[in-house]
This record gives sequence, C-alpha cells and structure tokens, in this order.
Amino acid sequence: MQEGKVLPAAQINRDLLRSILETPRWFWPVVSILGLVVLAATITIGIMINTGLGITGLNYKVVWGFFITNFVFWIGISHAGVMLSAILRLAKAEWRRPATRAAEVLTIFSLMTAMIMPIIHTGRPWRILYWAFPYDFARGIWPNIRPPLVWDPSAILTYLTSSTLFVLIALVPDFAVLRDRTTGWPKIVYTMLAMGWEGNPRQWKLQIIAGVLLSALILPVFVSVHSIVSWDFGMAVAIKSWHSTVFAPYFVVGAVHSGVSAVVFAMILLRWAYGWQDYIRHEHIDALGRLLIVVATGWFYFLVMEIIFGIYGLEGDELAVRALQFLPGEYGVAYNVWMIVFVGITYFLPVILWLPKAWRRNLWIMSAACISVNVGMWLERYLLFVPGQANKQFLTFTWNDYLPRWPEALIVAATFAFVSMLMLLFSRVFPLVPLYDIKEGDILRTEMQIGRRKLTATFRED
Amino acid sequence: MASETQAHPPADHGHDAHGHDAHEHGHFGPEMWVIPEASGLVAEVNEKQRTTPGIFRMVLYAGAALTILGIVGFVLKAMTAGFSDHRAWGFYVATFAFVFTLTASAPLAACAFRFTKSHWRRPLSRIAEIFSLVSIVNILLFIPALIALPDIGVMTEGGEQMVRRSIWFQELVNPSGWLLAGMVGLSFCSVAILWLAALPDMAQSRHLVTGFRASLYGKLAGGWYGTKKQWQVQKGGLAILGALYFMMVVFVQFLVVSDFAMAMIPGWKDSILPPFYTVISFQGGLAAILLVAYAMRRWGGYRDMIGQAPFWAASKVLLGLTLLHTYHLFAFFITYWYGRLEVEQAILNYLMFDSYIGIFWAQLFFTFFIPFPILVSNHARREGWGAPLAAIFIVIGLMLWHIRIFAAAFAAAPAELGGLYYLPSNAFSFPAMLLPVPGATFPDLWDIFMILGGVGIVLLVFRIGMMLLPPLSLWEMKEGSMYQRVDTLIRGRYLVLTKPE
Amino acid sequence: MPNAQFEHKWGMVADLDKCTGCQACVIACQAENNIPINTKDYFLQRRAYEWIRIERYWEGEYPNVKARFMPVLCQHCENAPCEPVCPVFATYHNEEGLNVQVYNRCVGTRYCINNCPYQVRMFNFWHPNWPARMENQLNPDVTVRSRGITEKCTFCVQRIRRGELQVEARDGNRLNDETISGGNYDPACVQACPTNALMFGDLQDSNAAIKPYFDDVNAHPGHGEHDRETRGYRLLEEMNTRPSVIYLKKIDKYPLEAGH
Repeated sequence: MQEGKVLPAAQINRDLLRSILETPRWFWPVVSILGLVVLAATITIGIMINTGLGITGLNYKVVWGFFITNFVFWIGISHAGVMLSAILRLAKAEWRRPATRAAEVLTIFSLMTAMIMPIIHTGRPWRILYWAFPYDFARGIWPNIRPPLVWDPSAILTYLTSSTLFVLIALVPDFAVLRDRTTGWPKIVYTMLAMGWEGNPRQWKLQIIAGVLLSALILPVFVSVHSIVSWDFGMAVAIKSWHSTVFAPYFVVGAVHSGVSAVVFAMILLRWAYGWQDYIRHEHIDALGRLLIVVATGWFYFLVMEIIFGIYGLEGDELAVRALQFLPGEYGVAYNVWMIVFVGITYFLPVILWLPKAWRRNLWIMSAACISVNVGMWLERYLLFVPGQANKQFLTFTWNDYLPRWPEALIVAATFAFVSMLMLLFSRVFPLVPLYDIKEGDILRTEMQIGRRKLTATFRED
Repeated sequence: MASETQAHPPADHGHDAHGHDAHEHGHFGPEMWVIPEASGLVAEVNEKQRTTPGIFRMVLYAGAALTILGIVGFVLKAMTAGFSDHRAWGFYVATFAFVFTLTASAPLAACAFRFTKSHWRRPLSRIAEIFSLVSIVNILLFIPALIALPDIGVMTEGGEQMVRRSIWFQELVNPSGWLLAGMVGLSFCSVAILWLAALPDMAQSRHLVTGFRASLYGKLAGGWYGTKKQWQVQKGGLAILGALYFMMVVFVQFLVVSDFAMAMIPGWKDSILPPFYTVISFQGGLAAILLVAYAMRRWGGYRDMIGQAPFWAASKVLLGLTLLHTYHLFAFFITYWYGRLEVEQAILNYLMFDSYIGIFWAQLFFTFFIPFPILVSNHARREGWGAPLAAIFIVIGLMLWHIRIFAAAFAAAPAELGGLYYLPSNAFSFPAMLLPVPGATFPDLWDIFMILGGVGIVLLVFRIGMMLLPPLSLWEMKEGSMYQRVDTLIRGRYLVLTKPE
Repeated sequence: MPNAQFEHKWGMVADLDKCTGCQACVIACQAENNIPINTKDYFLQRRAYEWIRIERYWEGEYPNVKARFMPVLCQHCENAPCEPVCPVFATYHNEEGLNVQVYNRCVGTRYCINNCPYQVRMFNFWHPNWPARMENQLNPDVTVRSRGITEKCTFCVQRIRRGELQVEARDGNRLNDETISGGNYDPACVQACPTNALMFGDLQDSNAAIKPYFDDVNAHPGHGEHDRETRGYRLLEEMNTRPSVIYLKKIDKYPLEAGH
C-alpha cells in the first residue's frame, strides 16, 4: 500500500529536476575527489600495461585474483536494474516506480566498469579485440567460440545494449520535459534526445509497448549474463570447487542480492543528497527490504547446496580445497575466518536487520545492511575463486597463496569511485527518478473506503 | 474520484455479460474479472458443491478403481520381487516422487501468492490447499520406498564394505528416521495450513451443510466467531506456517532427491539437482492447480467466480517456471558436457543421450517445447484454456522426468555389486563411477499398475477433499470483493484494487 | 607442417623405474627452449617456472622413507581441457597430435592455466632478460617469448620440424626411432636423460618402441587398468584427457616395511 500524498505534476517536475537545473555546492568537490581516484587508477593501469602484470600480486598458482573478483562483483551489481524494472514492472509492483531509473543506470555503469576488469587483467590487453570483437576476416582467424570467455562479451554486450535501450525509452518522456525547461545548447541536446515527443496517445502506447516488450526480452539476457559469467568458472575442470553445476542459478541469485542492496543504498544516498523525501519514501525502502529477505534466503540456499555437494563427493582434491576454505589456517591463511565473516555479513546480519519493520524503515540501518551485503558479496567471489586456485593442482606439492599488491587494490577501489562518479554526473544531466513513472503512479492511484478506514488503491490495466 | 464505491455486476448476468466495456480498453489482457458480490457467495458455493456434476463423480470412481489397481500391483510386486533388491522398486519410487513433487508444493502456491497479495490468487487458494490432504498419502507411499532404499553402508560376506555416497556422509548409517520425520512434519504443517485457511469458511458453512460435514465443521471450526483477534491469529499463523512450510518443502525435497536419486548413481555429484527438483515441483504443483481450476470452471459451474484473470496471471508464472526448468536442465547439461570428465560423460549418456534418450526427449518436449509456445501466446493465456493445456503436458512430462531420474537411479548400480557400489575403505581416494553405462530399465506390469495407482490415489483423495471442504476460499473471495471496485479513469472503466498491509 | 607426406602422432613414455630425479631434463629444456633464468626474485615472487619439472614425493616416514620422482611435462592431451577455453585459438591441436601454443595469438587470459589439470602451463609475468654474455647462446630456432603470454612444453617442435625437413623432405625417408635419436630430433629432455627414462617416438610408426605401451593402455582404459600387461598408465585418467605421455610404474624391489 502506498503512503504519502499525491503531488501536483508541477511540483514533481520542480523537485525531480532540481538535480539538473541547480548544482548543489558539494557536487563538484565530490566529483573531483572521485575523479582523482579514477585518474590515479588510470595511471596505474598505464604502468601495468607498460611493465606487465608482474607488478600485481598474481603468481603461477593464483592467476586470477582481484580483477576477476571485481569483474564478477560488478556484473553482479548490474543485475539490479532488470530485477527492479523488468521483473517488478511485469509483476505490476507499484513500489518499484522511484527505484527503476537509478537501478537501470547503475546497471549500465557497472557493466561498463566490469568490462574493464577482464581486459586489463590479460597479459596483452592491446590485443583483446581479437576476442571481444570478431573483426578479423582477412586472415581467416575467427575467435574460438567454445570458451566461456567469448560467451562473456556476447552476453555482456547484449545486456549493455538492451539495458541502454531500456533506459533511453524510459527517458524519452522525461527528455521532453527537460527540453521544455532548458535554454541554449542544453535545449538543443534535449530536443534531439526527446525525438519529437509530444505525449500524444499513440506515442504513449508505443512507449509502453516498447517498455513491456523490452522487459520481457531482457529477462533471458539478464539470466544468461551471470550464468555465463559463472560458467567462466563452472566449465573449468582442473580447479576443484569450481566445477559445480549449481553455479549458474547461484550466481544469478547472488547478483540480484548484491545488486538490489546496492540500489537501495544508492537510493538512500540520492534521497539524502537531493532531498527527494517525497519520492523515495520509507515504504519503498521497506518493500525492497522485504524483497531482499526473500532473495537473500534463496541465495543462502544455493550457497549451502554448493558447499554440501562440494563435500558430498569425498574426493581428496576437493576436500583439500574445502579444508583450505573452512578449517583453521593450517597453511598460514585464515580463509576460514573470512568465510565466517562473509556468511555473517552477507546473510545473517542483514537479514536480522531487515526483519523488523521499524528497522527496515530506518535509513541508517538499511544503509548499514546494504553495505554489509555488498562487502560480503565481494568477499564471496574472492573466497570462491582464490582458495581453489591456491590449491588447484592434483599433482604438485607446492601450494601457493595470493596476496594482492597496491595496483590491484587501487584499481579495485577506483572502480567504486568510477561508478559513483558516473552516477553523479548522470544525475546532473538526466533525471535519476523517472518523472513520468511517478506521475503515472499518481494518476493510477485512488482511494477506497473499507469500513472506517480509507485505503489507497490502484487502477489496474488488466 | 470514488463515484461508485462498490460496483458489482448484476447477479443474474450471463457468462459473457460483464466486463465488456473493460475489454475494449485492455490491450492484451483478459476480460475484466470482478469477484461476484459477497452476500450470496457462501450459499451459492454450497449449492454448487451439493449438485456435483457427473464428471466429478466419475473422477471419484476412477480414482478409487485405480487406487485398488495400484494396491494390487504393489502387493504382487512385493510378493514377486520382495524388498531385498532395490532395483525392482525404481518405478515405485518414481511414482512416489512424482506424487510428492506435485502435491507437496501445490499448497505453496496459496502461501506464496497470499504473501505477494496477488488479487488473482483468491479462487485458486483453496484448490492449492486441498492438495495438503494428499500429503498423508505421501507418508504412506514413502514407507515402502524407504524400505526399498539400500542402507548407506553394508558389510558383505567378504568383509568389505559396500557403500554409496550420501548427503549423510556415512555418519548416520540409517537416515530413514530423519527422512520419515521430515515427511511427517511436512504433512502436519500442510494440513495445519489447510485447517487454518479453511477455518473461517467451515465456520460460515456449518449451518448450511448437513450430515457428516455438519459435525465435521462443528468439530473443526466450532470456536470460530470471526473476532478481530481470531482473524489476526489466523492470518499471522498462515504467514508463519507458510514460510515454515516453504523451507520444509525445500529441505525435504533436497533430502528425497539426493538420497533416492543422486546417491544411487555411482559418481553422480550434481549440486543443481535439489534446486532443479524444487523448480520442477513448483512447476508441477502450479500445473496441477490450474488443471483443477479449469475443471471447476468448465464443469463445476464456477465460471464467474474463477474468471479468466487467474489463468492469465497464473499462466505467466507457469511460463516463468517452465523457463526456469529448462534453464536448470541446461545449466546441469552444459557443465557436465563441457567438463568431459569420464564420469560426467557416463552420466550424461545414461540419463540423456544413450540409455534414456527416448524418455529424455519426450520429457523435454512435454515440459518445454510444447508448453512454451502455448504459454507465450497471449490468446491462449487470455482465454483460460492455454494454461491448463500446457499444464497437462507438463504433468505428463514431469512423470517422465521422474522415471528418467528416479527409476534410472534405482536401476543404475552394477549388478555384480548387489546394486550398491564399492567405495574403497579410504573414501578420499578414487571416486566410484558409473562405468560401464547400463541400459534402460523397463516397467513390468505391476510397475504400470503402481504408476496408475499413484495417479488414482491422488484423484481419489483430492476429490474427497473437494467434497468435504468448501472448494473455494470463501473468505478470500469475500475479502477480494471488498477490496475491489470498478471505476472510471479518464474514458475507460477499470478495476481498482487495494492491498492493505 | 613442412611436409605432409608422412603422418605422425608424437608420444612419450616416462619410465619411473629408471628416473633418478637428477633434473638433467629440466636443465636441458631450459637451455633448449630459451626459458628465462629462474632468479631468486622469481622464486620469491612465486613466478619461477620450468616446462618440465621433477615432482618429488616422500613415501613413508623417516627413517623408513622413500623418495619418488616423476617428471611432469605438457601431456599433449588428445582431449585437452586447455584447448576449448582459449578465446583466441592460441592453443590448439595440430595434425601431429601436438598441443601447440601460438605465442603471437595469445593475449594472456590465463584460462588455459586454470584449466590444465597437470599444471604445466606457465605465464610470463615479466619480460625475459638474460645477462648480456648469455644472449648469444639463445637457441635461434625457438622464439623468445614476450611477457604477458602463456607458454609450455612443445615436445621440442623445432627439433621435430628439423627432422621432418632433413629426413623426410630432403631424403624422402620416414622418421623412425633410429633416425630420430640418430639425428638428435628427439626432445632435449629425452636426449639429456642419463638413464633413458624418457622415450620419444611416433605412434603412427608400427615399429616404434613406445607403441606397445600405448596399445596396451588404450586397450584397457580407465577401469581396466588392472588387466594391463605393461606397467603403463596415464596421469589422472579419470579426467578423460587422453594424454600422449604414458608413465611406467616403479617396480618396488624393496617395499616399505608394513605398519606405516
């Protein structure tokens, strides 16, 4: 049930376009700081390309480290967009409305960030076009289509394209609003972007049909992206603990878990930064919190399956990996401590925080829970990938652990700065809460008298 | 805006009289479905229940006949094969698992969509909950399956230990007690859900019914007066029991499919199987509910009360579950096929491409290639026949799935090892494998009797449940008619719904 | 292939009964294939590598203890897990049964390293450097690999190619065991092995000394290993990789005392 008042359209425009038409005083300093971090990481990447991967902490046992962990993490974050806009749109959940745009935009930016990771992680990144873009007809060299690493760019680029379309289609009516409220060269840009939008019934019908169709078509892409990312690991037979059939759904659910948490945190930040209390309301955060309890529990189920059937086989090599993960640091590495921390902050702590309604409506507690989920999900990927490699070999007697060095840490930190910076810059030019969607919700909203209570009700289109 | 507070269609309208104006506006959807007025609902449903159409009576008789056939088959099988060789009981276990799969998860549909406050679930809830009664049958069916299940470790004459892998990790030699406790707990929980959900309805109907049902309702719902406190307890209880039941179903399904299928095939280590089993069980449960709903709507006279909208909405969920089924199948297949380990090749050959290739493809067609085009068609979904048609194929396909997994698993282990396989005393060394790949197993006459009996007993128990309990969730329908209104927005007439916390 | 007139399928047999763990093969490989010097720094960074390594296992407990040695090199699997996962076709199976690595194509995704059960694929983290006085001793037939790529044992393909040119293309004779070892066309490790624990040959040649071992192992795959007539086995047979290297079991004349 919705809370809050129905606001006049003029006020919605005024409030939600505030981020574009005015610049808050904190805006440029924050963007500059984030930009400096990104710049430092860019220079580091330059050094790394110039001198080679030797400057990272990778070694001959652990050849996939922080970069791949970070890649999977950001791909995971990107799953929030479709979860919130497509699935909840098809399910006609009213409380989705203020969250959709931020989630979709986060999808696009996190996908872009994620794609940087496997590229800079390769030994010779300047040759990556071989594989990411099959362009080289002349020499008859077509990339091998069998490896999951080639399925990756196909899935991710499809997802990126369709998400961008999805955002653009949803933005067209809002572009028209902006076109009518700006002057000078921004007006010219918004006029082009609005593509002649007048808001007539035919245009609305087309826009709605396109939105519904894209929602339905993007769903298989959404599932396939993280499945394929999981198959980067699931297809590998030589590393025990990776070759598990449950990986695909496990990764998808985990992605939704971390992605939706990230969106909740982003929404709380936006609400605070731009004063959108009337739009991003407690009931929205509350509903997202309830959704997250379900998603988190599903994720936990898959985690348990993965572990139980890892041990189930009682195969020596696999048990060795599991021992490395769960038993006290026999090899000088406290993976077991990290394991406990990770399960605690990814499942138990946040779910306990989400259970009471009052806590779900407390923005501080919600922020803490969502940050804890995302730290935990980052750790999850690390603990899934690295122990298996540190102990991968069937034959050799040397095991080796992995300790990241400063270039990796800096680049990983900079990806967070990069996405935040892009989100802020986006909010500067495009509305991050969809105007038309909020207005639509207000139009479809009505009241119903039941007994002595007056309840909000919704017009249903079918 | 609230010009009409409660706009109900006239009581005497024909089947196609209402919702006309709305249909012109709705772009894809079905005609507008308005729950009939609440005042006459209880009497009307009771009247419909009394005048049972002949086809429903036929279901009862057919169910009874098939059940007897199944018992005959079971007795003869037990006499001819005995319980010492588990390989004789593959089809029996497949039948049990099939019945369990469909009926254990059907009540979840009621809980889940009550949790999401879906308006369209209201007429389907009780159908889903009546499947709880079958859970008692599940326990009965489960006991012989447990007896047939080989122990985890057996000492042979030579003093060597024959073991199978299991999720119990050799610690508990006999997990049967735990399995049985899980099944009984599941049954208890689902019957509690049924009782709690039917409580208000039985209380409303207790003065309208006669004979056995009157005394039954009096006993079961005697203390219900509909006070605010009672409603709070009932709704809270349903929510908590629903969540508990959800977790229990998932857990017991994990136990059943790991112990009765995965552990029986040497070397099969497949972490997606329990989630896969849970997904197909949701798919099967929803399909079964939709089949019953269609029969009630078509032959039982509940045309207005059930409407097209529940099918329209439920078929989308069914489409999602069908896609998820295929997705899980593919995730399993691609990992094994790409991995190319010896044991993986053997298991793929056994379950998919060699021994059971016919059943595999038939199952894939029944659970995906046929239902998918039906379910993506807006027309088929809208008209209310698409989902039940797809559901028939899905139910048949799931029967084949159970034969492919459970019957195959029970027939898998090499004969020379007495049906179990040998794992060296040091379990850390080389894992046992399904090599060489055995051929397919075929049912004998008693197996076929037992499969038919399994279907029959579900029909029988379900039909008895429909006769004893109000077949429509009256309080949810009443609630629905209270929370709905037809109203004008701009130029169109639309349904207005509210969903209080 | 320089000359397609003869078909080959190269294979190797490692007799563990003869292996003494002397590491001559490792050094020979290092010198032949321009493998960078494993400096102290490389070891400390855990990035030192060899294309063939001697694995040493202890059996029993001191003083009742035995050392076991096993040379492990690229197994040139027929069903290699590393091949399908390379996005740029840098590694593939050639017509002579070799698992080859095309350094020019390799972009260094390192998926093949992760997917090799034998752990014989190595990544070049740094650009290789040799002291100036040693640059003239680099083998001109072998590429000096740049940093950022994966490399591994080639069965000394440069020597095989030389043999194919000198014996087959020029003289028109098929390479056989005698001409291979006579012309030093066998891999450096085989040539250097002082106990002849390593044998190299052509499985298409019915007279090859290694062929009976392969025939025997192929005739009794997987679970038939107890029926084999020779001591042959492959590493990690359950991985279904079908290596082109066969190991011969050690014969334990003086087994460890029981009770340990």
